[in-house]
Amino acid sequence: MTSPTSCAIEQRSVGEITVVSVTGTVDMLTAPQLEQAIGAAAKDSPAAVVVDLGAVEFLASAGMGVLVAAHGELIPAVRFVVVADGPATSRPLKLVGIADVVDLYPTLDEALAALAT
Amino acid sequence: MTDAGQPGCNASFAKTGVTAAPERAAQIRREFSDWLRGRFTLDATKASDVVLAVNEALANAAEFAYVTAQRPGVMHVRADYDGDAAVLTVTVTDEGAWRNTNPQPQHHRRGRGIPLIHALTDRATFDSTPTGTEVCLEWDHIFEIPTALPAKATRAQDCESRIT
Repeated sequence: MTSPTSCAIEQRSVGEITVVSVTGTVDMLTAPQLEQAIGAAAKDSPAAVVVDLGAVEFLASAGMGVLVAAHGELIPAVRFVVVADGPATSRPLKLVGIADVVDLYPTLDEALAALAT
Repeated sequence: MTDAGQPGCNASFAKTGVTAAPERAAQIRREFSDWLRGRFTLDATKASDVVLAVNEALANAAEFAYVTAQRPGVMHVRADYDGDAAVLTVTVTDEGAWRNTNPQPQHHRRGRGIPLIHALTDRATFDSTPTGTEVCLEWDHIFEIPTALPAKATRAQDCESRIT
């Protein structure tokens, strides 16, 4: 169980797609963990990396910066999408225009369905 | 910089002289969030907006305020509520020089904190001088959770405290 200020990250494969699932807090302290996890996920050149923030309770601009940077580094060789829903994650991502740059889906199922097309 | 004594120490949230470091910023964020949710009837969106905006101000102080100094300086946070106007004001102050020496972080990973603050608040002002920066965040239409006890009942966590 994550403490209020920590972050837990898991990686798994769904076919050719690597899903990076994040739980807890992504702020200036824990954002480097996310950056590292995305890098590890991309290393084997999957078709896509999906960062699932569904269980993230707090997302700071430091974490948002990691997402934008990863998007810039991975595409077009590796597709990159983010799963986020709710006031703590999808709302600020949309408010600062990141959702216009990085594909954002409210659920993992929708993200995987979009990647299948 | 210290805060003047308040007549009722449950009137506001205040942390003075906190080391301007990421770990302290996270700690203050957590304590502020607890105070916020215990005092006001905020919906999930508003609560999230307020905590995130405060976090961004703290993060800027922790990351940039003392970038030219040999060790971290301090930052101060205080929240005041105007019950008549239903306005919550949170002020984050540092005594460093980040806004003067590094007005716009250049790295592509950064630089979203200030746009985010503006998007999440009703009003946000940044007042920088060579001796520090004061970020003032305001939200309208904030209402307190009604309590059965008189306002004088004090709660320990609402009093000013020092963290070093």
